[in-house]
Amino acid sequence: MGSVKRKSVEDPSEEFTSPLKQQRDNGFAGVDEPVACVHDVSYPEGYVPRSSNRDSAQEDSKPPKEFPFSLDPFQLEAIKCLDTGESVMVSAHTSAGKTVVALYAIAMSLRNKQRVIYTSPIKALSNQKYREFKEEFSDVGLMTGDVTIDPNASCLVMTTEIWRSMQYKGSEVIREVAWIIFDEVHYMRDRERGVVWEESIVMAPKKSRFVFLSATVPNAKEFADWVAKVHKQPCHIVYTDYRPTPLQHYLFPSGSDGLYLVVDERGKFREDSFQKALNALVPASEGDRKRENGKWQKGLVVGKAGEESDIFKMVKMIIQRQYDPVILFSFSKRECESLAMQYHLVSDTDTSYSHNIQVSNMLPLLKRGIETFSIGLNMPAKTVVFTNVRKFDGDKFRWLSSGEYIQMSGRAGRRGIDERGVCILMVDEKLEPSTAKMMVKGSADCLNSAFHLSYNMLLNQMRSEEGDPENLLRNSFYQFQSDRAIPDLEKQAKLLEEERDSMLIEEEDSLENYYSLLQQFKSLKKDVRDIVLSPRYCLPFFQPGRLVSIQCTGDDDNAPSFSIEDRITWGVIINFERVKGLSEDDANKKPEDANYTVDVLTRCSVRRDEVARKTVIIVPLKEPGEPIVLSVPISQIDSLSSVRLVISKDLLPLEARENTLKKVSEVLSRFAKEGMPLLDPEEDMKIISGHFQVQSSSYRKAVRRIEALENLFEKHEIAKSPLIEQKLKVLHKKKELTAKIKSIKRATRSSTVLAFKDELKARKRVLRRLGYASSDDVVELKGKVACEISSADELTLTELMFNGVLKEIKVEEMISLLSCFVWQEKLQDAPKPRDELELLFTQLQDTARRVAKVQLECKVQIDVENFVSSFRPDIMEAVYAWAKGSKFYEIMEISQVFEGSLIRAIRRLEEVLQQLIQAAKSIGETELEAKLEDAVSKIKRDIVFAASLYL
Amino acid sequence: MRGIQLSLNQTQRLRLQTALELLETLSSKASLNASVTVADTIPVNYEDGVLKGHGTTELDGEVVATVCGVVERVNKLVYVRALRARYKPEIGDIIVGRVIEVAPKRWRLEINFIQDAVLMLSSMTLPDGIQRRRTAVDELNMRSIFEENDVVCAEVRGFQHDGSLHLQARSQKYGKLERGQLLTIPPYLVKRRKQHFHHLEEYGVDLIIGCNGFIWVGEHVEAKDDMVVDDQVNKSEQHSSKSKSWTSLEEQEQAYTHAETRQNICRIANAVRVLSTLGFNVTLDVIMETVYLSSSSNVEIHEMLGAEFCVLVAESEAERRSSSAKRKG
Repeated sequence: MGSVKRKSVEDPSEEFTSPLKQQRDNGFAGVDEPVACVHDVSYPEGYVPRSSNRDSAQEDSKPPKEFPFSLDPFQLEAIKCLDTGESVMVSAHTSAGKTVVALYAIAMSLRNKQRVIYTSPIKALSNQKYREFKEEFSDVGLMTGDVTIDPNASCLVMTTEIWRSMQYKGSEVIREVAWIIFDEVHYMRDRERGVVWEESIVMAPKKSRFVFLSATVPNAKEFADWVAKVHKQPCHIVYTDYRPTPLQHYLFPSGSDGLYLVVDERGKFREDSFQKALNALVPASEGDRKRENGKWQKGLVVGKAGEESDIFKMVKMIIQRQYDPVILFSFSKRECESLAMQYHLVSDTDTSYSHNIQVSNMLPLLKRGIETFSIGLNMPAKTVVFTNVRKFDGDKFRWLSSGEYIQMSGRAGRRGIDERGVCILMVDEKLEPSTAKMMVKGSADCLNSAFHLSYNMLLNQMRSEEGDPENLLRNSFYQFQSDRAIPDLEKQAKLLEEERDSMLIEEEDSLENYYSLLQQFKSLKKDVRDIVLSPRYCLPFFQPGRLVSIQCTGDDDNAPSFSIEDRITWGVIINFERVKGLSEDDANKKPEDANYTVDVLTRCSVRRDEVARKTVIIVPLKEPGEPIVLSVPISQIDSLSSVRLVISKDLLPLEARENTLKKVSEVLSRFAKEGMPLLDPEEDMKIISGHFQVQSSSYRKAVRRIEALENLFEKHEIAKSPLIEQKLKVLHKKKELTAKIKSIKRATRSSTVLAFKDELKARKRVLRRLGYASSDDVVELKGKVACEISSADELTLTELMFNGVLKEIKVEEMISLLSCFVWQEKLQDAPKPRDELELLFTQLQDTARRVAKVQLECKVQIDVENFVSSFRPDIMEAVYAWAKGSKFYEIMEISQVFEGSLIRAIRRLEEVLQQLIQAAKSIGETELEAKLEDAVSKIKRDIVFAASLYL
Repeated sequence: MRGIQLSLNQTQRLRLQTALELLETLSSKASLNASVTVADTIPVNYEDGVLKGHGTTELDGEVVATVCGVVERVNKLVYVRALRARYKPEIGDIIVGRVIEVAPKRWRLEINFIQDAVLMLSSMTLPDGIQRRRTAVDELNMRSIFEENDVVCAEVRGFQHDGSLHLQARSQKYGKLERGQLLTIPPYLVKRRKQHFHHLEEYGVDLIIGCNGFIWVGEHVEAKDDMVVDDQVNKSEQHSSKSKSWTSLEEQEQAYTHAETRQNICRIANAVRVLSTLGFNVTLDVIMETVYLSSSSNVEIHEMLGAEFCVLVAESEAERRSSSAKRKG
């Protein structure tokens, strides 16, 4: 992509930057030197750098700020950029000292009588920074959703959301701000809120300069290129891996009682002790394998009759070794709560309290895990412990990524106090060694755009004369990244095409014909199997002792076989069980809709790979291997036979299993000639006579077609060809290549057009349909109301308001109803709200459904029911009581939620109410306005709105 | 024929009447029935609940209009859109106003609203374009930016907590308007559009249709603005800073407006006047249509305000609307 010119020999910039470069080369010659940093510059296209004579003039004057300690090289580099008046992105670890750069920028702006804005992703950090800066500079103000202190100050600390809305509203600050500091800018990859950063950066005044502080990101250059392009100004990058206090990474295998150093302070990975740690894992025996599902939770359950949990053991150890204070990361709320209780236990028995205080302070935070903690909130500790490394990610559990791990482990080690930080990872059976290795050794996450459209954004853009949503899209980091990917994609496509064209196959046409027949055959067979083996029909036949044929798991999973026969083997059913899903929804499923696994005794070959992990492969009975009981999903079962064996009760001894398999072989050889008698789907399993007409007819159809296809195979000219297997394999590869090329080409095409173009159109259609904007993109009254609402779903809330729902009901009911907009968590057994609240909630759901349906009709991709159920009634009662004037402990009794979450929800509710007041003002409905004001005064009291550092 | 003040002869009167009647039949009937005067009861369905918006109040359990105008309904919201009233600002409106006072840190502007609008010094981009805090020196030099009676274009920022209306100038294209005419028409003739700034290239004229009914027709000024993303911004910085601070010589040169441009300004301004006299909505399309009509039928600029041309405009507008109605229907 030619839009950004990098330094080149003929580029005049070379002269200008070379002193910096030389300094780097001479001063810090060694590559491994930990304090070294990388400095690079992105220039906008066609940019001619200024001559440096202006800089020399400035050198005479005193620097705006001098620090009482000597600065690290990366700080010096960054400050040099600031002195020349150019934007800079600093990418370094959390504790490396990025704040120094921010302080310098603030001092410089204050000296030049310019305004400076400091934004951070969360209020807690903003509050902390406000105090820090206030001490240092005094002319400092704070603006968050909750508080506004001295908004006319020269240095304003705020959350990024506030900064964005200031830009939309056209605050005068915009014309006075010379430097904008975006702290923790890597937050931009946040799925939900990341887009706020992109909006803020794109809309920022073109004359201002930026300081971006970010965690280590590998693509800092790309980000800087984007800023340079959008703002037509050079943007420097200062990158360093430097850690002021080196880190040691330990593993704590569950059930063991020792720590294993896996990465030392020099960053070297210790393979041998990594192996040892894995071997020390208490192996889960065959018997309690079934309990495995609940296992990682079990370890945490508090003090079961004196039983010491792993964590308890470890914390004790940490204190004995004087590794405290310690931060514990855990990613489930329940765990946090139980942990908290445990720490009271510890504090009773131990003399050291410091860590306890830490833990209880952080409780409200622990809940948010990564979101809160991976950012630069100043709460250092000597030791960081990960109690488990799986994180709930909105819809499923996933492993912590190496980037997140790097961020969070960076908390360990206090600068100037500890010589080194300690990071302990608790691992259990579930963790793949390769995953663990990747986590501790891996590199930081890339900074990728999480851009998405919202109605509020569209309306705000459309409302201002200069705003144009398309312009915003064009300048987004998302577009920039996808533009950049095009040449790469094209090259890839070309390479693949060449590879495909180089593959030559004889008699390709008839082979292809055969291939497609084969594909059809397979898919039909699969259909039949899916029907026959759907839990509805087959569950009654999963008795212990029944012989089943199962598919072998080969080494080459990705290379499918091309014979008509599948590679199958036989085994004996021992048991079956329902798979427990992670979401509570599962509990409501009917038995026939759930997923099941079947425990089958069969012959397997067991291998241990480099990292000593067992891989179990099902092999045919005659091949060498061990008899093992395996859990297989139903989909891996091929068919059920009508034969059942008597199996011994105790299969733990190896011989018992070996004998059972021998019996299987005997049965097989007995039926060798006529084939194993299978359960007849129609007669035995009653598929035809079932109530499910559709299924039974599709079953019959499929069976008929399979028969027809089998005939075709026999007649096929090429079927007799000796090399058919290999030829088919080649053809298959070719097909795969073609598909790949197609998908790459599609990706290329979609990146050349404006990203989100279709979605933008669809969303505009929604706005027109609901009367928010006119056909020539002029924002109408409703749209103006929706503009004001940024803390809740703008369309649903606006519709609710315009339908008069808020007007009719009592203040407390209204507050209670609005709580559904700010509460997204699902509670398992939340009691239903009382009838009148329930009724209101149904009204809300109806409105939401209508809004969602309109969106669907306008071709916005949305899951209607999902959208409707995103409004949760779970805290309605509690909030109702709060509005009625109950004490906080009373409402805590009503709802089984976490204190911190409830407080946050009520605070957010206040934000929504404030926005609604603005909205009511703009439509001139004074009664509603007064009612909303009343509502604010009703909830804004006591502990919920007490100033807190951590909320 | 309501309120149109023209000296017409018999045939002209007849022609105008026919044209206006035709226009009336073309406009939707619904809005006619929905017009109310002060103290008129507005029929609403109380069972569903109702939101009372601007221009309404509750009196003895009934929703009553407090201004003369047209009843508008959005879902359950009922409000009255006033006609022939002063301008009612909305956030984001583009307006043209006249400076009536230079006050501490702010200018007061007449914008045809019930109160004066406030334009803060800090809401203006400084002439040097540097992002910085306003100093006492800036405050003393405020008259070098705007003086009393200057015509200024700005955007409505919103109501402050004290109830005053604040304006802002987001970029360089807002600010002082020079070398042109300011026309004042009833604000209800201006419809809110996506664009209120128009550059009429063929005439070399800028047309700003302020939402407050103040319309500016003036010589085109090249926007020295880097908020608008275009390729020109790539010019080196020395260059652009130079062009921003004109020397006095350049200024003199700039101060001269060609006769042709001046005539164009007058023609367009007169077109707006005619439309306002007839009570037609003033949009770019209609203005341009009127201008074309005047030049194609060889009407001199000074004749445009005469009765004959007025009738002509009314007739052509009636014809245009009826033909477009036919095309649709």
